[in-house]
Amino acid sequence: MSHSPSAALPVGHYAYDDVDRTFLKQRVAQFKDQVERRLSGALTEEEFKPLRLMNGLYLQLHAYMLRVAIPYGVLDAKQMRVLAHIARTYDRDYGHFTTRQNIQFNWIRLEDTPEILNVLADTDMHAIQTSGNCIRNVTADQFAGAAADEVLDPRVYAEILRQWSTLHPEFTFLPRKFKIAISGSQQDRVAARFHDIGLIAREGENGRPVFEVFVGGGLGRTPIIGVRLRDDLPEEDLIAYLEAVLRVYNAHGRRDNIYKARIKILVQALGTEEFLNQVNAEFAAMDRARYRLPEATVEAIRARFGAPDFAPVGNAAEKLAAQRKADRAFDAWVHTNTHPHKQPGYCSVTVSCKPAGGIPGDVTSAQMDLLADLAERYSFGELRITHLQNVVLGHLRQDALYDVWQALEKNGLGEANVGFITDIVACPGLDYCALANARSIPIAQKLSSRFANADLQREIGPLRLNISGCINACGHHHAGHIGILGVDKRGEEAFQITLGGSAGDGDASIGQILGSAMSEDETVDAIARIIDTYLSRRTAGERFIETCRRLGTAPFKDAAYATA
Amino acid sequence: MPLLENGQIIQDTWQIAVEGDSLPTGNVLVPLARLSEGLGRNTDARLGVVLTSADEVETLRDALPRLDVVSLTFPIFRDGRPFTQARALREHLHFKGEIRAGGHVLPDQYEFLLRCGVTAIDLPEGSDPAVWQRAHEAFTVAYQPSILNEQAEGFALRRRLT
Amino acid sequence: MDRRNSRRDAEGTSVITANRLLDGRIVWLAADGQWATLIEDAKLYPNSAVEEALKACNARAQEEALVGIYGVQVTQTASGPLPVTSRERIRAAGPSVHPDFTPDWHAPHPAPYA
Ligand code: HEM
Ligand code: SF4
Repeated sequence: MSHSPSAALPVGHYAYDDVDRTFLKQRVAQFKDQVERRLSGALTEEEFKPLRLMNGLYLQLHAYMLRVAIPYGVLDAKQMRVLAHIARTYDRDYGHFTTRQNIQFNWIRLEDTPEILNVLADTDMHAIQTSGNCIRNVTADQFAGAAADEVLDPRVYAEILRQWSTLHPEFTFLPRKFKIAISGSQQDRVAARFHDIGLIAREGENGRPVFEVFVGGGLGRTPIIGVRLRDDLPEEDLIAYLEAVLRVYNAHGRRDNIYKARIKILVQALGTEEFLNQVNAEFAAMDRARYRLPEATVEAIRARFGAPDFAPVGNAAEKLAAQRKADRAFDAWVHTNTHPHKQPGYCSVTVSCKPAGGIPGDVTSAQMDLLADLAERYSFGELRITHLQNVVLGHLRQDALYDVWQALEKNGLGEANVGFITDIVACPGLDYCALANARSIPIAQKLSSRFANADLQREIGPLRLNISGCINACGHHHAGHIGILGVDKRGEEAFQITLGGSAGDGDASIGQILGSAMSEDETVDAIARIIDTYLSRRTAGERFIETCRRLGTAPFKDAAYATA
Repeated sequence: MPLLENGQIIQDTWQIAVEGDSLPTGNVLVPLARLSEGLGRNTDARLGVVLTSADEVETLRDALPRLDVVSLTFPIFRDGRPFTQARALREHLHFKGEIRAGGHVLPDQYEFLLRCGVTAIDLPEGSDPAVWQRAHEAFTVAYQPSILNEQAEGFALRRRLT
Repeated sequence: MDRRNSRRDAEGTSVITANRLLDGRIVWLAADGQWATLIEDAKLYPNSAVEEALKACNARAQEEALVGIYGVQVTQTASGPLPVTSRERIRAAGPSVHPDFTPDWHAPHPAPYA
């Protein structure tokens, strides 16, 4: 890695400088010291746990799990190779991409962790605040900086918030974790209304952005859609306003019951109006000058982001058209896995990490290396992790798509299923997770195999299927058109189906439970019957979620519980 | 109990009000419920108040000019309310006196406390101040402004810690 | 620890489990007092004796570098103790989606540790 000032800035994410690097090294040294104090007995397990969690280290079912931050989901090829190296050297040759745009390693040793964090720090990566009751990794739109419908690039603001929240002196021991998401387009692709704070940016009058602020959304045990606190928060007040919200939460959020500790419960308990009053009172009383976010600061951060240097593409579009005509499988992939780019002749590609019968979000070291190579060769070195557990190559020339697709195909990453029923989101479930009631992965694999037929998937059309192994809802089951929730029936695994959830596009809704829990195989069969019902009852061009909304849950419930 | 102030362990000369007893002469820390009793003492000795993490600092607004110490209490280190209490005392109520933190506090929280306006820590007997000093020196940069108004470090919101 | 793990009847048999502090791996208390990586080696306790045994283990947890010690109810089978809950079966056998990752799996390249 080059530190020379002439080196091009990484595309798509903030470039660290020496101050940032010094900080990361200090953080690693601090953790090393904490581990030593734990081993000596100076720290009890109870005291150590929150400290390791704030460095992303959980104790899971089989071993420690390390969650590495991928701020706003963007990383560069060098960083991806380091993740591959960590998987290979310290883990079992694979990693798992999560809905929070992070990566998790499942077989980590505590004693290796300071060294791993050091290796990460060498390429400007860390695991800071990927867990714990603090402000977590800020997520952003996976097509940020590329999408044709984008109003402004949210990553600059996500980076500002990442920095501001890093080891925040006041908000590191909150009642509970705190998640912020930010979108730069009105097509809310980050599920802003399902976050503790969701921000949707748009262009303001003076050419500077303003933010719509949602608060108190969340899934988990008590799914709630966030309420709008502000419609037009000016950029310069962004930090001050978030400080105000967090102060009210830190002072008054419940600490007696972990299930009632999220900000959503506080907002519900106080009522939106009273909560808003308290935030406004704090906002009015605070020293606003201290927390002001000047335009110059925003621009200084923006200047640390590299931008793709687009080249003239000549007849790329024609070439692509010819290739699509010649190869049907390629055509199908282009159809499902590409997204329009604002630069003519370019597009974004979603690489599916959901092979038929595979484990959603799991990627081997070799696949990570391949993705790094492809990013370097074709996409300005930039990669993104999506909240649907896939990987995006942001800026591909249209005439490079065929090469990219062939390379992906050869390595098990060429599935043409983005947005379809087999593009399943699943949490690790009982195979790894200490909190789980049931396994999420095997049922995902069965469903993925069941609907593997490409024509069938296309016939079914856009459909979100989300699976969580327990009520914590890491797989966002409430937000799935079809959701599956693992429950515990006297020590046995069982599953509930929810229907009609949706995460964004201005129509967020929470799925409704269909009925009592079933075994894994019964659930798979029930879902097949739900799909049959949809196919036979839909009107022309009607998507699954629309049919659900039109018919209500009753016919689907009948189908699900019909004994064949 | 030993008191950690500016990297030094000093002898705490303050007494703590004992429930059921009348207030002692000399410098005394009283709970919020006995604040008016403390203010009513006819003495030159100084007065401080001990808050629980659930107390509202706003209730001190009128009394604050007559208080020398506000002592904040962590029932457990995970209860982060004292951070907000300290910051509010400095930022909203412009309190210039000493803010102490006591109870279950970890050295790993020391720098956060200082940056929220705490000036002294009530250490458990036998604590090693070197561990706290190390925690204080662990970082040379912070990523956000604090009530200490540290100098900017390079661009953006970063601050140089000294 | 998670209470769901210790779903124990009054009658019955249990084994004692923990995670090693240093590498997080699952271990089972064996008859010789050592902590084994395979549940087959675990010592069986009548449920009435489990609480007492846990107390003794917890007293030595820091010294033996263990965390999260608790009892797991099992049935006895020809191939050794089999936990009654799915969760504990997965802990004992490794993730069901990676049959290769049995509890005695070990990295071909041990992590270089500086
Ligand atoms: C395997 C280790 C994991 C553990 C122990 C864990 C634990 C939890 C817990 C306890 C909650 C609920 C918190 C609350 O509502 O207060 C939660 C929520 C959540 N988790 Fe995880 N999780 C894990 C893995 C994951 C993974 C792999 C993903 C992504 C696929 C994920 C994404 C989420 C999300 C998005 C939520 C938010 C739900 C909400 O905001 O209401 N987690 N997790
Ligand atoms: S939803 Fe439950 S089972 Fe799944 S990862 Fe989250 S906590 Fe674990």
